[in-house]
Amino acid sequence: MPTNGAEPESPGLPPRRRIARVGAPAERVASVPDSGPYKGSWLPPTQPRLRIFIVDSGWNSAAREVLHDNFHLLRELQRETPIYLLGRDRSIELLRRYPLLVGRDPIIRVHCEVLRHHRPPGFHGFRLHLGLLKEHDQALTALQKFIRFIGMHRDSQDMEMDMRKKLRMEGLKGAFEVIAHGDLHSVI
Amino acid sequence: MLEQTADVVSVGIGVLAVGYVAYEINRRQRKLHDIWDILGENDEERTELLEAMVANGDLVPYTGGALP
Repeated sequence: MPTNGAEPESPGLPPRRRIARVGAPAERVASVPDSGPYKGSWLPPTQPRLRIFIVDSGWNSAAREVLHDNFHLLRELQRETPIYLLGRDRSIELLRRYPLLVGRDPIIRVHCEVLRHHRPPGFHGFRLHLGLLKEHDQALTALQKFIRFIGMHRDSQDMEMDMRKKLRMEGLKGAFEVIAHGDLHSVI
Repeated sequence: MLEQTADVVSVGIGVLAVGYVAYEINRRQRKLHDIWDILGENDEERTELLEAMVANGDLVPYTGGALP
């Protein structure tokens, strides 16, 4: 029984959840409301369930420009979510380690926790390879979709599954477009 | 003979058209998943790496206003 107001350790806490606890900044944790859809679940409601990682090695690209120009909006609209920015050096190190990612950055990764019991514990998530979008408008639209998606699905118990459904729908939509119009517009 | 040739050509064009549509759908879906995707097994190591950086305190939430 803690006497200092600290939360007791959950007995079945997976190791990776422990990681989340260590990295959670106090000011952001405090900003999350005490009540909500997760009240009563085994996850303490004050834990940020999402983290955003940005990998940007610094290519002079339209996608990078869009990200820089609109980063303040991303921050404002995702105030509750810690955003981890890998600086240029760390991003380059990451790309050296995973050369397949070269040209795909800026990369925005979302690590989220899934609350459904039938899913394996640990972190899940999705990512956006913003650097693959060469046109300014495409990159901006993708960034807006990304922020909108997180905003709309923030309280979801399985954001990863929501993204999977969304991608399936986008795929079907694209298929219908091809069949109906022979539309070869680029995918966003 | 001419009629048979016309039939064969029609069927050939139809097959090509269906094949093209299937190819185009597949191409678009691959492109979509190149841009957006779920973190899968391929990303596991990267996820671990980033989470470890956070756990070690090497990465802290960015608090600045604009990107450096």
